[in-house]
Amino acid sequence: MSDGTTDLTALLAESSIRLSESAASRDDAIRLAGAALVEAGAVDASYVDAMLEREQSVSTYVGEGVAIPHGTLAGKDSVRQDALVVLRFPEGVDWDGNHVSVAVGIAAKGNGHIALLSALAEVLMDPDKAAALRSAETPAAVYELLSDTDAD
Amino acid sequence: MPERTVTIASSVGLHARPASLFSQAAAKTGVPVTLTSAAGKSVNAASILGVLSLGIGHGEEVVLSSDAEGADAALDELATLLGTDLDKE
Repeated sequence: MSDGTTDLTALLAESSIRLSESAASRDDAIRLAGAALVEAGAVDASYVDAMLEREQSVSTYVGEGVAIPHGTLAGKDSVRQDALVVLRFPEGVDWDGNHVSVAVGIAAKGNGHIALLSALAEVLMDPDKAAALRSAETPAAVYELLSDTDAD
Repeated sequence: MPERTVTIASSVGLHARPASLFSQAAAKTGVPVTLTSAAGKSVNAASILGVLSLGIGHGEEVVLSSDAEGADAALDELATLLGTDLDKE
C-alpha cells in the first residue's frame, strides 16, 4: 500500500469538504476538523482529544499553507473507518506561527495512514496544486486535485 | 558519496510525527541530505512533504546520502534518529 495509488477521493465525502470555515485558533481549527470526522461517521468523539494531543506533541503543519491534523497512536481505537475531511479557512489560521489556509483532517486505522499521507504529500509537493487547493471554491475542484495522484 | 543504510525503527513508519522530527533534524544539520526509499525514489530529507511522499513503513530500508562538507557527522546523526522508535509515547 505504499505505492502511491491510494484513492484519496474515495475517503472524502462531499459533505466533508467545507470551503468557508473560520477558526480563531489552531485548536479551534482542529476541533472543527475533528467534528467533521465525527459527522462523517469515521471516528468517535474521543478522537478529537487525540488530535489535540498529537498537535501538542508535534505540529502537523507540513508547509504550503496546509496542516494535516490527526490523532495519536492511542487514538486509533476511536477510528471506525479511514476518512479524510478538507477544511478551507479563507481568512487563514495561525498555526504555530504558520499561516494555514487548508486543514486536511485524517482518520486511519492500522497502517492506512502511510499510503494516505504519501498520496496527499505527492499532491502538495506540486506548488501549483497546493495553491489550487488553497483557493479551491468548489468540492469538485478539491476532488479533481486529490484524484490527480501519479503512481510514481 | 557518503551514505548510510538504515532500517526504520519507528513502529508506525516514517509518517507525520517521526517524519516531522526527522526532517526538522535534517534541516538543522545544515547539510543537504538525500533520503532514498527501497523503491529507489529520492527526496530532500529536510522536506517534510518529500519524506511523507515516500510512504515508508516500519522495517523498511532507506538510504541517507550526502556529498557535502560535514556529511559524515550529519548522516550519522540522522541514521541514529531513524534507527530509534520516534513514535513511542
